[in-house]
Amino acid sequence: MAKFDRLPLRALVAAALAALAFGVAACGSSSNNSSSSGGGSSSGSSSAKSGGTVTWLEGTFPDYLDPNESYTTQGAEVQWVVYTGLLTYKHAGGAEGGTLIPGLAESLPTISSDGKTYTLTLRKGLTFSDGKPVKASDFKYSVERMIKLNWGGKSFVTGYVTGAADYDAGKAKDISGITADDASGKITIHLDKAYGAFGNVLAFPELGLVPSGTPMKTQSTNPPPGVGPYMYANVVPNRSYDVKKNPAFAKFNIPDIPLGHIDTFHFKLASDTQSEVQQVLSGSADVMDPGDTITPSLLGQVTSQAADRFQKQTIPSTFYMFLNTTKPPFNNALAREAVNVGVDRRGFNRLASGFLQPACYFLPDGIVGHPSGDCKFGGLAAPDLAKAKALLKQSGQAGANVVVWGERRTPRDKYVNYYTDQLNKIGFHATEKIISDTTYFPTIGNAKTDPQTGFADWIQDFPNPSDFYLLLDANSIQPTNNENFSKVNDPHIQSELAFLNKVPSTQLNSAAARWTALDEYAASKAYVFVFGSEQVPQFVGPKIDTGALIFHRTYFIDLTSVALK
Amino acid sequence: MSAETTAETGTEFSTGPGLEPRAAEGEAPPGIGPYRLAARRLRRNKVALAFGALFVLIVILCMLAPVYSHDIAHTGPNSEHVTDQVRVNGKLKDVIAGTGKNIGTPINPTWFSAHGRFVLGADDNGRDNAVRLLYGGRNSLEIGGVATLITMILAILLGTMAGFFRGFADGVISRILDVIWAYPAVLLGIALGTALALGGVNLGLFKLHGNSLMVPAVIIGIVYIPYVAKPIRGQVLSLREKEFVDAARVQGFGSFRIIFSEILPNLASTILVFIPLILANAILLEAGLSYLGAGVQDPNPSWGTMISDSLPRLTSSPHLVFAPSIMLVLCVLGINVFGDGVRDALDPRAKVRLEH
Repeated sequence: MAKFDRLPLRALVAAALAALAFGVAACGSSSNNSSSSGGGSSSGSSSAKSGGTVTWLEGTFPDYLDPNESYTTQGAEVQWVVYTGLLTYKHAGGAEGGTLIPGLAESLPTISSDGKTYTLTLRKGLTFSDGKPVKASDFKYSVERMIKLNWGGKSFVTGYVTGAADYDAGKAKDISGITADDASGKITIHLDKAYGAFGNVLAFPELGLVPSGTPMKTQSTNPPPGVGPYMYANVVPNRSYDVKKNPAFAKFNIPDIPLGHIDTFHFKLASDTQSEVQQVLSGSADVMDPGDTITPSLLGQVTSQAADRFQKQTIPSTFYMFLNTTKPPFNNALAREAVNVGVDRRGFNRLASGFLQPACYFLPDGIVGHPSGDCKFGGLAAPDLAKAKALLKQSGQAGANVVVWGERRTPRDKYVNYYTDQLNKIGFHATEKIISDTTYFPTIGNAKTDPQTGFADWIQDFPNPSDFYLLLDANSIQPTNNENFSKVNDPHIQSELAFLNKVPSTQLNSAAARWTALDEYAASKAYVFVFGSEQVPQFVGPKIDTGALIFHRTYFIDLTSVALK
Repeated sequence: MSAETTAETGTEFSTGPGLEPRAAEGEAPPGIGPYRLAARRLRRNKVALAFGALFVLIVILCMLAPVYSHDIAHTGPNSEHVTDQVRVNGKLKDVIAGTGKNIGTPINPTWFSAHGRFVLGADDNGRDNAVRLLYGGRNSLEIGGVATLITMILAILLGTMAGFFRGFADGVISRILDVIWAYPAVLLGIALGTALALGGVNLGLFKLHGNSLMVPAVIIGIVYIPYVAKPIRGQVLSLREKEFVDAARVQGFGSFRIIFSEILPNLASTILVFIPLILANAILLEAGLSYLGAGVQDPNPSWGTMISDSLPRLTSSPHLVFAPSIMLVLCVLGINVFGDGVRDALDPRAKVRLEH
């Protein structure tokens, strides 16, 4: 999904490609029946003050307030606490926030040995925020509704769940691969092929439960009831909405899902991000949406006047330049190495006004398998330009013409300007081609364009390394909407992915070392030039208790952690 | 002498009585030609001359960009110094701040305290702002000049053909001009600029790369054709009915000889008045298109792209926005005031103006 900046189409294609990638025989995925850790603490920071109202400004209004349809950061960050899925993520910062926990399910799923059947049981006594009891069949209905409403990431379901594609195509009345027993609460999901990351799919808020019978059309102005610590209220389309505490949720006593402190969040559309920042700076609003940017001219003001309320938060993402391995000059490994050795990674962070965490591995920090060692080529400090020039000379590609592709959006256009200049310093003859944001990825993903090098990025759909390695998977090479821009077709990567992509997301840590080895291998081949991970601003008003705040890497500021001083 | 407003010009253009053939008016004192008289009038218009001089100064400065770049700033217009340092008053400073609260902030103007480097500071990509300002001016003037040339040549050709031959030729040419005119100049420029920036122009022998400066020049040149061709057509329609044209016909002159020997010389003053008007508007349109990303393409500088790139730094580094803006205003003002002076000199009663 990569909600932060992707077109929905990209995720659709990505998932479809992943489906192809995993379409080989299952191999020994063991069953898993681990239950959630105990706990039962239903609030975040126990010392935080409860009650009050918070004004939250958004530069972009959520695309939909309907959970089965929303596909943007602004939508998901709220829906995470309004529509709890069968599984969800720990309300924690850092890597811990990527841990899957049972949500409305009693425990993590039981997965069959072939990795194709997921079995879960719904918690007893759950009710929606309007008081209706929750049934197991509501899950099936919600999934079907998500498909009917054409959610941007529906291919995560239609690509794997048995019968979902037929339902989507109108060939079936329901999804045959999902069975639900309302009496026992048992839900069984059959997959066409093993898909290790399916646990993460079950944690999407977009698969959060809504009551059966909810109209199969957008309910953005009157969002359906859900099960979560909060619920929607007072929706004024494209202007504002409230998120209020769900009084029914406390009695469910679901471990590890806090009840939240604030009574009401008042979400408002800001006229522009400049005024959004200024209002939070002055205290007339309480939270700036982390999906928005602080312009460089205001950043100095924010850091000098409100340093205690501002933080840069790294989100699991990979910003890189792809190097097309099928055509000159980057079909030459030494030329690719020259790029990785000679381009100064420090520059990208400066161009991003500090909102970029320099990196050199494809798996970003915070994702299982991220290598912690030194870069394979070059580093995060000053580059070795002389070595890069020597490598390029050795490759026989010195002076080669290179067209660098980029999109117009700032600072991405600046990255491409800079990268082009750096290539010229190494010894290439590089020129740039910058096109509009809307046409960029379809253009470079088209086989007719077949670009040599250019900008690309990936922001996690969910915290799972397989979500990133889709981009280096040979099965992702397609004539249109190609995602493997470097056109990497490496037998070792393919054989490793055949195994790793089937490891259930609940057992990811067991395969961490193997993911690390794979990422180090990919780095040693210099298939791409990775330069960093994106950072977003966490900026709140003076009334907010910053000590209690949790920044969740997938859903940004955790609403249940927000409290007044 | 007949004062007329051509039907084709509508409210956009009006050609005053001053654009009638000077020879027929008999206004010039005996022994002084109309152009000498105009030059004499222009010399007396000190304001127009001052602004003309200002424009010439800007042109000279921009033409000297390579000298400044090579011998003073020691960097090119597209050379980036993102991670470099420069010695200012003996102290090393990051060209782009690499640490601290102001990370990413470009160096402010050094005002010659860094041996000519970064006199007007750097932009977000660590490029010397003064160098880019001069190269940007070069590009803007080059595009404006070529666009004006394209507009004038094609407008004179089409306007004269339509007005002189009338009938079918007039119908076809006028409808084509109507189609171009139906689109607002800026919107047409954006549409063409965006489309051509990706694939360039490929018309067999005539090929332009998407990044070429000639792409915006061609676009702007085409956009402004109707604004000149229509008034010229109107004037030719009037001129072809004059006695001296009839006399030429009676003498057996062919159509093209009449056009070259009788019609075009009588259009000279109109053409002279239009040149600065079109040039100023072409430079403005280029800046507008470049600001919107449909004109000069990265990394080439132009005043429009410089303003656009620096806008997010308006409050923290206002010089990045103001320097190209001031240059643009001065350049266009210089051309316009001088152009007005030329118009007044050629005919004080002329009312030719470009409105869109």
